[in-house]
Amino acid sequence: MATAKSLTLSSTTFAKLSPHPYLLANLQPSDPSTTPTRTNGRQPSETRTPYINTSSLSHAHGSAVVRNGDTTVICGVRGETILTALGRPQLLLDEARDYDLLVPNIELATGCAPNFLPGVPPTTLAQTLSTRIYSLLHSSKLVDVSRLRIYPEEVGEKNTGDDDEKMDEAEETDEYAVTEEKAVKAYWVLYIDVLFISFDGNPFDTAWTAILAALRDTKLPLAYWDADREMVLCKRSEKEAAPLNLRGLPVACTGAVFTEKEKQKKGSGLYWVLVDPDRLEEGLCDETVTVVVDKLGGSTKILGISKHGGTVVGPELMRKVVATAESRWDQVRAAIE
Amino acid sequence: MADRRRINGPVGATTPPIFDKPAAPVPAKTRDAIRKIFLKTGITPSASGSAYLELENPNPKKLGNTSLKLSCTVHGPRALPRSAPFSPHIILTTHVKYAPFATRQRRGYLRDSSERDLGVHLETALRGAIIADRWPKSGVDIIVTVVEGDQDRDSPESQKDDEGWDMMNVLSGCITVASAAIADAGIDCVDTVAGGVAALVCKDDKTAPTIVMDPIVAEHGSILAACCVAYLPTRDEITNMWFKGRLPGSDMMVYDKLMEKSLVACRCANRVIVQELNETVRKSQEIS
Repeated sequence: MATAKSLTLSSTTFAKLSPHPYLLANLQPSDPSTTPTRTNGRQPSETRTPYINTSSLSHAHGSAVVRNGDTTVICGVRGETILTALGRPQLLLDEARDYDLLVPNIELATGCAPNFLPGVPPTTLAQTLSTRIYSLLHSSKLVDVSRLRIYPEEVGEKNTGDDDEKMDEAEETDEYAVTEEKAVKAYWVLYIDVLFISFDGNPFDTAWTAILAALRDTKLPLAYWDADREMVLCKRSEKEAAPLNLRGLPVACTGAVFTEKEKQKKGSGLYWVLVDPDRLEEGLCDETVTVVVDKLGGSTKILGISKHGGTVVGPELMRKVVATAESRWDQVRAAIE
Repeated sequence: MADRRRINGPVGATTPPIFDKPAAPVPAKTRDAIRKIFLKTGITPSASGSAYLELENPNPKKLGNTSLKLSCTVHGPRALPRSAPFSPHIILTTHVKYAPFATRQRRGYLRDSSERDLGVHLETALRGAIIADRWPKSGVDIIVTVVEGDQDRDSPESQKDDEGWDMMNVLSGCITVASAAIADAGIDCVDTVAGGVAALVCKDDKTAPTIVMDPIVAEHGSILAACCVAYLPTRDEITNMWFKGRLPGSDMMVYDKLMEKSLVACRCANRVIVQELNETVRKSQEIS
């Protein structure tokens, strides 16, 4: 309040009036004794620690709340059944994609930030995020499709675990010789809905972490095809509800490139890669890199790299981002388990 | 036509899981109090004001199971767009939206009529509390997201949702949470408005109906009538009242009694708001 009278501006006013010089002044302090930090007090490659809480919703089959700094996301996974075309042999290579069994949607219009208000169609950001999540879900083959198949009820055979294995073996040996009884009658469709409660940058990483945690938490009831009633029924007991079979633990890590000049060409001037950017930083950076890595099983596997806008990031810098993503993986894994 | 801006999933219709055995009925308990309310302000730092409300589930199936979960954000007061006509007072816009996973049936992303209805009720409830002429030519957006509705997951499928008794509880929660969020945004109000519900329920046809506060729909055999009130306790004024159902004709006083019970529920909810706001003020004073 007092600063309004004097000529100097308070830091919040400075940030609002000219955000780019404000962030630059923080990263490049005039006084060499102060360490350069971002406006949120983090180092360029420092991420926010995520907090994860699972199974908090009762109507969803699996749910997770992820808080990453001031970004809060709720993800609910809900299973519904769909009948397959009868007598159709399962010769498809990618059932999940061909039958469209995974339905992720990101909802930003919850008033989570002043620019996301309801009553309007999904923004470009919401559409882009949904599509990116959709393609990552399919390309990473995270969800094991065999768990989503629904078979006719086995009479007199109680052990379902055995049953599944037999089924897999039968498929491996001869996919064409699927008998009438063993045919898949229906599938589970997973509706994955992500709701932003609070938005402060880095929506993709947080949404993906929430989806991962919610899918790990998902327990589908044991479903079977009832031939007499010609419909899919589920067993009520909680004991027979089985978790999904997830392949690996892919973690996304996003970095935004902040350049010294607002319009900068490659090889001129300074730049910083700000990992896990917040809302202010996202608004000032044109170029972003997202790397999806999985370190489960020892070695690092890269499941996806996407880079938008700008020309600063080359192969050298990409390696550094991957290295940051590796440490991010450890952080997220610690939070999830 | 399918919405091409969202991912719609498979072409055919999907059905929610149907169980082979009906679930065990929820034991009915007689309580003469409202369920415990958890209220917290400031959960969305980027909004002008925000609040989160949770109701305790008296029949928990697993640890930490709560029934109603609402998140509210307030954006504004801010200038109206240039194209808007002159308004001598603040223009209130309310949105109530269920999350797709909030109820037994999956909800779509487009607002349906019941959500619009809740929005209108919420607007009338809040308009009476806000001192509107302090902000001419400005608008405020109040958005309530129902993260989880007030329905029991395992209550029998025969109990249809379209009766909409649970909407009463959702509305009273919306009023309470929006009131806390408005106070958090620093918008001047005459009082903190709070919502409360009372219902006339009966177990079966033989027993006499009784009035309960904050009814849990799954617990009661049938609900004859329900009443949701938005109330300003210090001024003793009602800003919105929603009554629904059929009263038995024999007792003329039952309507008054129902109203009085909902006012008691309102006062209880208001105490929670006041306590949380005091807490928020105390915390901000400690920091500065």
